[in-house]
Amino acid sequence: MNIKITHNWLLDYLETPAGPYDLQKYLSLCGPSFERVFDHTNDYSFDIEVTANRVDMASVLGVAQEAQAILPRFNIAAQLKQNPSQLTFKELGTPTGEKKLEIHLTDPSLCSRFAAIVLSDIKIGPAPDYIRERLRMCDIKSINNVVDISNYLMVSLGQPTHMFDYDKLKQAKMTMRESRPGEIVKTLDEKEIELPGGDIVMEDGEGNLFDLCGIMGGDNSAISPDTKNVILFVQTYNKRKIRRTSMKTGQRTIAATYFEKGLDEERVEPTLVYGVQLLQKYANAKINSPLYDIYPHPYTPKTISFTLHDITRIMGVTVSEKDVNDILGGLGFGLKKEGDTFVATVPSHRKDDIEIKADIVEEVARVWGYHNLPNEIQTTTYVKQPKELEQLFLLQSKVKYFLKDIGLHESMNYSMVSAELLQKCGLDPYAHLALENTISEETKYFRQSLIPSLVKNMKDNQGKKDVLKLFELAKVYLPRNNDLPDEQYRLAIAVTTDFSDVKGIVEVLLRDLHIHGFQIKRSQNSLYAPHVQAELFLNEEFLGTLGQLKQAYQLSNGIEKPIFIAELHFQTLIHHYRIVPLYQALNPYAVIKLDLTLPCNKKQDFSEIKQQAFASSEFLRTIDVLSQYQDKLTLRFYFAAKDRNLSEQEAKNELEKIKKNLLQ
Amino acid sequence: MFIDNFRLRFYILFMESIQQLRSQFQQELLSISTLTQHEEISIKYLGRSGSINTLLKTIKDVPLEQKKEFGATVNGLKKEIEHALEEKKQQVLSQTEDAQYTDVTLPGTPYARGSVHLVTIAIEEISRVFSKLGFNRMSYPEIEWEQYSFENLNMPPEHPARDDFETFFVDHQPSDVFGKMILSPHTSSGQTREMQRVQKPPIRMINLAKCYRPNWDASHVPMFHQFEGLCVDTGITISHLKGTIDYFAKEFFGANRKTRIRPFHFQFTEPSFEVDVSCGVCDGTGIIDGTKCKICKSGWLELGGAGMVHPNVLKAGGIDSDVYSGWAFGFGIERTFMMKEGLNLDDIRVLYSGDVRFLEQF
Repeated sequence: MNIKITHNWLLDYLETPAGPYDLQKYLSLCGPSFERVFDHTNDYSFDIEVTANRVDMASVLGVAQEAQAILPRFNIAAQLKQNPSQLTFKELGTPTGEKKLEIHLTDPSLCSRFAAIVLSDIKIGPAPDYIRERLRMCDIKSINNVVDISNYLMVSLGQPTHMFDYDKLKQAKMTMRESRPGEIVKTLDEKEIELPGGDIVMEDGEGNLFDLCGIMGGDNSAISPDTKNVILFVQTYNKRKIRRTSMKTGQRTIAATYFEKGLDEERVEPTLVYGVQLLQKYANAKINSPLYDIYPHPYTPKTISFTLHDITRIMGVTVSEKDVNDILGGLGFGLKKEGDTFVATVPSHRKDDIEIKADIVEEVARVWGYHNLPNEIQTTTYVKQPKELEQLFLLQSKVKYFLKDIGLHESMNYSMVSAELLQKCGLDPYAHLALENTISEETKYFRQSLIPSLVKNMKDNQGKKDVLKLFELAKVYLPRNNDLPDEQYRLAIAVTTDFSDVKGIVEVLLRDLHIHGFQIKRSQNSLYAPHVQAELFLNEEFLGTLGQLKQAYQLSNGIEKPIFIAELHFQTLIHHYRIVPLYQALNPYAVIKLDLTLPCNKKQDFSEIKQQAFASSEFLRTIDVLSQYQDKLTLRFYFAAKDRNLSEQEAKNELEKIKKNLLQ
Repeated sequence: MFIDNFRLRFYILFMESIQQLRSQFQQELLSISTLTQHEEISIKYLGRSGSINTLLKTIKDVPLEQKKEFGATVNGLKKEIEHALEEKKQQVLSQTEDAQYTDVTLPGTPYARGSVHLVTIAIEEISRVFSKLGFNRMSYPEIEWEQYSFENLNMPPEHPARDDFETFFVDHQPSDVFGKMILSPHTSSGQTREMQRVQKPPIRMINLAKCYRPNWDASHVPMFHQFEGLCVDTGITISHLKGTIDYFAKEFFGANRKTRIRPFHFQFTEPSFEVDVSCGVCDGTGIIDGTKCKICKSGWLELGGAGMVHPNVLKAGGIDSDVYSGWAFGFGIERTFMMKEGLNLDDIRVLYSGDVRFLEQF
């Protein structure tokens, strides 16, 4: 969260000669990050980032506490002054009066401290100039003295408070309870908020909600120009409940950003007393009720023991005992030494953040200064990388760059797709793992194939290129019972050209990986056109599929021209990959090439011809396809013997043998 | 007299044949217009059994006192022919070349060249930098159990990062042991997996992977990439983290870059840091031509989070935090790479749109 405070306001709490830019420079290095400084002529304001664990720092007092520890490290004096956080209930004497509150807290886990007091004779008017000016510099709108004082308390001490108009609660009843789902509260910004249920609210005894606790007060109990009696209300709430309500209702108020981080119950006391003092001074307030303070589990200070070694082993440098004392003392810790062991007493405002030795190390190290630590690289040591991962990353890189080099573009898509896209590819969304809380229907179902995403890419790119060739290499997520899904890599390719092109890409990729002799089988995959598809195998191991996207799916996806697709199991490629191919001794004897043209025949596809040819001739080495023109297939046969030169006539005889076994 | 007469006759005949050869050559020389013709003529006159050699072979019949003159005359002719042919050759060559014309401004033969995704390039580049320090690239599940993404990282069930505004939950039966199934919101989920895998330090791990969070606008996408470094060993200190990050920044962004760490907060590191790298545009000054640099905050760019591994995380990974210590960092890959190349994607959603006009640029 970011907060704004002003320089003069800070100087109310801290005695220091540090200028605004010194504060920015030095505190940012060691504590809260001063993101910006604004010059307002008579004062400066700071925009400060406070991390989620340090809500104690989100106030003028909190920043002053940090400055007290940090500035002396840069040889700038800094000392906290007497300040309102030291006020106690004793200052109020024995509060009493004619107004009473009937407080009912249904569940103590909602609110760890509940304090309230009624103040009468209030005169609503403007707040004094210095308060209005400071709030203005911190981007808080001035309303009237009572509301402004409430905001001034929050920025000063980091504890939001609320002021109710006592007379608007007719029965003076305050019941704090959890909301029921669907209950409606009208907040003072006049919004009607329907509650999700389980929110902390207050009810007036007649069924009316008058406060969405920790987030915003109700419109029906708000301070107005004729308010006479005010309830000053200071609480610490269950932080999880505040965050949940704030997120679910979208009410991200400043108060909520404080309460949802968990506040220091001990701070309630000085805040209430300081609030009474300011209201007395600037709004004519008179105490007119007993003090109500429900605080079942007061803070008992905790201690943490550590040694200098605990610090040096993490920082890598030696830190002196004096530095440790100064730093922790400056931050408000108590410190005792027992032998070599330090015992630090954790101040209440740090109780949620400081739990173990490492937390103390952080405090010392950051204030001592990370910028003072040397840059050193640790000793390099050998750790074995699992072979399968080494192979995986090597092959990913090889395959991606090879496909790139032959003209394909790598696409990266979301791992989740829409039900609509799956259905348009004939897939059942419900067979896929799904997100419970997706933010868009576009990303709901986990892919089990990369093809739908590529189909979508093809559709989205329609008209942008004449020829489009894309690939993606990514995980698919195959559900398993009672276990995480099986995450497997797939390689998918999609082209606008033709079947021969996609097959050619697969073949040359296999050649580049020195994988020889895949088997291709006709298949009946419903994704593809029934007669333009096949399955690929490597030594009986399934490699993948390829084919033309079925026309129905092409149309349902709004794609004008046919597209051709392949999807391979990447793990299978890895299994069969070789760094170099098997070496084949060079044959010194003559190779005779003979061409043959055959009619195309459904009953005799090329794999059939190949099989027959090799079975017919022991001298046949290779067959090349020269051309396929209309219904004629022209092949080139290469004949050679292993031990002598074959004569032309012998080769011709071999070709005759082959022809005899083929349909002409 | 007879002899004189014979000499005279020979002389006349000889001179006539020389003259004839010369004029024949000169005529043929004129007809040469190609290198092939040139070659033919060269062979005809100067070849092993060409006219000159044939003439020289008759020297044996030449009267003794005329042999010298005969030889000199024939060689003179040979030189003349050679010279003329060489001249002709140059002439023919320059004529052929003069006739050539190529429009060198036309594009060359179009070869196919595709592209790899920007993120692929970034992943390879980052892996390379860390492999030199002995960091192994690893990989862990993207769909994870809460246990590895949260509990083991010291993030108790009530931690805000675990609610469904910050994390994607997978619709699947929870595990009795590991909690709900989620999409890993950070690469840090791999930390305790790596500890459990090696069982005993040293650990030098780099994990570059997809991460998922429920945000979708011009500067957030629900899927993005992070890279995570994890180093666990005896005697690992904050200085080592600083040194490693500084090395990375200098290798990746350039030797003149500086780095710094500032206090920050993460549940799974203690102490925790925000890492900044000096701005390459204003050279770390925060000012360009007298005005504020628009790229950075006062000369620094935020790189991401880092810290010393929290003792509870080491414990969850089965490592004794009194013996071993470690550092970890996790940075966004897209962001880091864009900072390197000064790529200004005003809408990062284009990365995962599959738009070929974007893809083909890399």
